[in-house]
Amino acid sequence: MNEIYFNAYAGYLEGVVRGYRDGLITAPQYLNLTQCETMDDLKLQLATTDYASFLQNEPSPMSTSTLSARCTDALVAEFQYLQQNAAEPISKFLDYITYGYMIDNVILLITGTLHERDTHDLLEKCHPLGFFDTMPALCVATTVQDLYSTVLVDSPLAGYFRECLSAEDLNELNIEIIRNTLHKAYLEDFYAYCQSLGEPTASIMSEILKLEADRRTVNITINSFGTDLSKDDRAKLYPRLGNMYPEAQTRLARVDDVDQVKAILEQYSEYKTILAGVSLGASTGGNDVTLEDRFFVREVQFNKDSFEQQFHYGVFYSWLRLKEQEIRNVVWVAECISQQQKDKINNYTSIY
Amino acid sequence: MAAVRDNVFPTRMNLTITKTRLKGAETGHSLLKRKSEALTTRFRVIVRKIEDAKLKMGKIMQNASFSLAEVAYITGDISYQVRESAKHATFRVTAKQENVSGVLLPAFERDSATGGSQFELTGLGRGGQQIQKARAVYTRAVEMLVELASLQTAFVVLDEVIKITNRRVNAIEYVIIPRIENTISHINSELDEQDREEFYRLKKIQGKKKDRAKAAAAAQKEADDAPVDDGRHVRDILSEQVDEDIIF
Repeated sequence: MNEIYFNAYAGYLEGVVRGYRDGLITAPQYLNLTQCETMDDLKLQLATTDYASFLQNEPSPMSTSTLSARCTDALVAEFQYLQQNAAEPISKFLDYITYGYMIDNVILLITGTLHERDTHDLLEKCHPLGFFDTMPALCVATTVQDLYSTVLVDSPLAGYFRECLSAEDLNELNIEIIRNTLHKAYLEDFYAYCQSLGEPTASIMSEILKLEADRRTVNITINSFGTDLSKDDRAKLYPRLGNMYPEAQTRLARVDDVDQVKAILEQYSEYKTILAGVSLGASTGGNDVTLEDRFFVREVQFNKDSFEQQFHYGVFYSWLRLKEQEIRNVVWVAECISQQQKDKINNYTSIY
Repeated sequence: MAAVRDNVFPTRMNLTITKTRLKGAETGHSLLKRKSEALTTRFRVIVRKIEDAKLKMGKIMQNASFSLAEVAYITGDISYQVRESAKHATFRVTAKQENVSGVLLPAFERDSATGGSQFELTGLGRGGQQIQKARAVYTRAVEMLVELASLQTAFVVLDEVIKITNRRVNAIEYVIIPRIENTISHINSELDEQDREEFYRLKKIQGKKKDRAKAAAAAQKEADDAPVDDGRHVRDILSEQVDEDIIF
């Protein structure tokens, strides 16, 4: 039944987003970008892409941070266009996408409040996609207690906060643990929401979100080695979904070093390839591929696959992820050019 | 430079004193020269080390900022979190002093007692490895900077000290020693002069004495030869004493 009405609600937006997808930088264009010698060359090459209008007014010695900011502006502009033209239930889906950024923004504000900084300055640092109407209100709070109640009242994240944290936790827990707890709650909620949307959105999004969940699980495991994060706390941060839930997660929660992680992951056919040739743990420079890179590749693959099907909302999420990856790639290339590290310039994750 | 010398009275006493001074100046000169050589050797070593360190520095800093780019690629901007979670210094530098032939060279060293990181959980969900790597690389870069700073300070201090020492060596060699030597030769020549004068005087006196003795001998002889005065020669007091006329 979905397919019958899909175009009535989402046909236009899907068309737009597929158009956006065609605007993504392609492999030959990447090749041109990597051939650039200076930032000006790069800018010239980018003039043929969707970023042109955002970069044309930048004065000539352009820093990579400016480039990154302008590209993000481009992404935000496109996403907001989608949001403005969306109706239920796509608008809700798009809102869900932004919650992840909101978590980061709120965490940023909490960090500022904890250290008694003027949080108004922080608003500029917030990711524009995670900006919600009442966010400036959070700046009014001067104590953590205030902030907690304000967050509960004013932000779309209220549910996650209520479920996972108390006001005391904000003071006591490490800010990173809070962030990961919230992300975990968000992922689970988003997953549940996607399931409620029915096929084919549910199956497509579940693939992508499971990968995201698995990535979080593996990353949290590896990154918590050698820190004072206890194993119980570690287990609590794992999202309760994904291919590795629950069996591998309970085992990952108990491991002590990278080799054990490897042993566990090798039982999963989809991650066997990811680990091959990857140097886990503290890598020592060089051109070795990191785990993150492999996950990026896989994520890109999943997101590309979601464009192969029609009549589902996954394309919006996928497009955003691909676009983000593209911005990372462009900034990476720019960094390599400006720092003259040409030998690593091809370490980006190509999309098309 | 025409015979600059100390303004001393040319006496034997002063000659001895000045000679002692010359000996002192020479000892000082050789000591200072040796110090300067030791310092210069040290200086060369430091210069070489600085060159190495600077060359390495470029590479390391490049690596460091590139590792930050890698972090940015994977996690995005983490600067604020890292800044806020830093509560106390994890990298401390202690200053100590090193003695190189009497010169105190400041040396900076990483305080090994400190360590640990407050933001070890940053990037827990993603990119933690890259952050730790960037941290390690930057720590190495800072260590390098400390080493370079230590070398540079030593370089500046040593440079100054070497200049001073060389100036002193040269001053002693080209000013003080010639002056003392001049003084000595001056005193010597004055003393010689005095000796000659004395000798001449003695000669003269001797001559006079001889003349006088000769005269006396001659007179004696004459007296001996002359008719003997029988001593009855009476003084005529009246003719001897002529009173002035007293006119009132």
